[in-house]
Amino acid sequence: MIKQTVKILNRHGLHTRPATMLVTTTARFKSEIFLTYKGVRVNAKSILGVLVLAVEPDAEVTLDANGSDEKEALAALVELVANKFNTE
Amino acid sequence: MKVVKGIRISPGIVIGPVYFFTPGKEAIPQSYIAETEADGELEKFKRAADSAAGELEQVRALVLKHLDEDHARLIDAQLIALTDVDLVQEVTDLVRREHRNILWAYCSAMERYEKALVNSFNQFQQERMIDLHDVKKRIIHHLSTQGEYTIPQMREPAIYVSDRVSPSEMIHIHNQNTTGIITKFGGIDSHAGILARAFGIPYISNVAEIELIGTAREVILDADHEKVILAVTPAVLQEYQCKIRELEKRKQHLESQAAPAVSKNGVPVEILLNAGFAAEIKAVNPELIGGIGLFRTEYLCIERNDVPNEEEQFQAYRDVVIALKGKPATFRTFDFGREKMMAILDLEMFQKDAVFDTWGGIRFCLDNPWLLNAQLRALLRASHFGPLKIMFPLVTNPAEIRAVLEIYRQVQTDLKNEGYEFAAVIPLGAMIETKSILDELEELTGLLDFFSIGTNDLALFLLGSKRTDTVTKNYYHPMIFQAINRIAAVTRIKSFPVTVCGEMASDPYAVLGLLALGLRSFSMSASALITITDLVRTVNLKQVGSLQESLLSAVSAMRIYDLLRDYQQRNQKSKPHNQT
Repeated sequence: MIKQTVKILNRHGLHTRPATMLVTTTARFKSEIFLTYKGVRVNAKSILGVLVLAVEPDAEVTLDANGSDEKEALAALVELVANKFNTE
Repeated sequence: MKVVKGIRISPGIVIGPVYFFTPGKEAIPQSYIAETEADGELEKFKRAADSAAGELEQVRALVLKHLDEDHARLIDAQLIALTDVDLVQEVTDLVRREHRNILWAYCSAMERYEKALVNSFNQFQQERMIDLHDVKKRIIHHLSTQGEYTIPQMREPAIYVSDRVSPSEMIHIHNQNTTGIITKFGGIDSHAGILARAFGIPYISNVAEIELIGTAREVILDADHEKVILAVTPAVLQEYQCKIRELEKRKQHLESQAAPAVSKNGVPVEILLNAGFAAEIKAVNPELIGGIGLFRTEYLCIERNDVPNEEEQFQAYRDVVIALKGKPATFRTFDFGREKMMAILDLEMFQKDAVFDTWGGIRFCLDNPWLLNAQLRALLRASHFGPLKIMFPLVTNPAEIRAVLEIYRQVQTDLKNEGYEFAAVIPLGAMIETKSILDELEELTGLLDFFSIGTNDLALFLLGSKRTDTVTKNYYHPMIFQAINRIAAVTRIKSFPVTVCGEMASDPYAVLGLLALGLRSFSMSASALITITDLVRTVNLKQVGSLQESLLSAVSAMRIYDLLRDYQQRNQKSKPHNQT
């Protein structure tokens, strides 16, 4: 398993649009991927789970991936977060 | 006794039992299944999700075509949520381990997420939040056999009480003989509000304590005084029963002498009706009106959640024309604004978005010429059965009208070649309701036969207020009065016909102001016909003209409102004296 902590740069945090982009990205990978925020760890392939976290702007979250394509998955997600989920 | 206040959307008073509608929460059967049935239940869910996904794909395609990728992503969120991995896992557990039926399992799993989401999001996120309500409604709809959990089912005539009422729900409850409506949300210019006035159903919104009212046995809904009375004492009940009888008597009396509307100094004023549903036309006595000034054709689509084909449209228009017995009907071509599209699709998620205000109207029809072509064909064919006029919504420049006229002439040629009969001359007009068209009025008079002022959208474009948010009456604003005065001036010089057809024409004080500006033709909802006809009879048009100058120099909506109210109150006081 590998993990990395990233900062959410979107103006309004992880709301519907970025969460949608996150989930469509995680769905492309075979690995199990989780998102941890304020000590709560949720399945990053579940949009409802991600939305319930209500991640605020500038918050730090930890992504972890476990599986055959974990490296590619984590790299893709880190880039997505840095690009504000291509939504702003 | 307890009184709860609200805001009047549609006038009237009614006493009766309530019907409390809480979509999705209602009577979900909490029954257990046998272990062997689990696979079948989960299969049902899979099929329901597939059907719902099919619908959302269609919505997505429409949104992508007419809005943009950014908005389509909100639909993507709903698509993903339909088969969310965690949700499906939870539903599966509830079915397999706890042996709950699928509907119960799904609703309880969703409820947990709904609660968590509502609690955790800030104001901005709330507005742009995933529309889980819509997702849930679709799944429940496909899991139930007769829509029994998503459509209101009133067993007896009652007052409908709910958080909100959508246009399609409005049609259901109207058919179920609802006697009144009380909601927490909903503005005076909302489409459900327009329908309530058209159907003559008393309605107040912005009412707190909906749950309390919803569980009451009997209430008094006094929309005229913007309140609901609970735990009614016998004395008050009796008082209200008297009031209702008096109102009924007064209404019958006025109806018996309603038409024609002639001012006190003998000038005829045209009183027309706004309509959009076949059911409304049946309730109309053509003797009482000068015709239909605005027939909202897009409501045919709301009724069936779909665009009717040429033949269906032809039959609908023909029936309207025949029912009017020789009085002219003015049909407005499909006006699919952003909000109307949302209303038709029952999607509320984009309603607060300001980006797409000017999207829609005639532009939409020109972008989809097959739509306009079929509609014009249907209208021309209907013109063989009685007088009709056609007008085009949300015109922003004369080029749009030239493009429409080209299609119109082509339709005439086609129909002639196909051997159809239709009226040789059909008056064509434009809705004047955008800012940019106000500078092109002279040119438009050369292309068309009449104007119709849509005050709802005009206020929206000039003042930037939103239809659904609008509780206050924004048409008293000085900018609106000045714009209307400009339209009146241009048309007066050329004796060019002009009608006012927004909600403004249903408001007595506002109509007084319009009469002062020289307008002589008004199209309104059915609930206003008698009041406005009555008003016209009490007004001396020569005298009211003296108000014009002060109206046009007023600097605030409040000032305009005060001027009109004071004038009318003086006028009413002097009425008995003048009659003797």
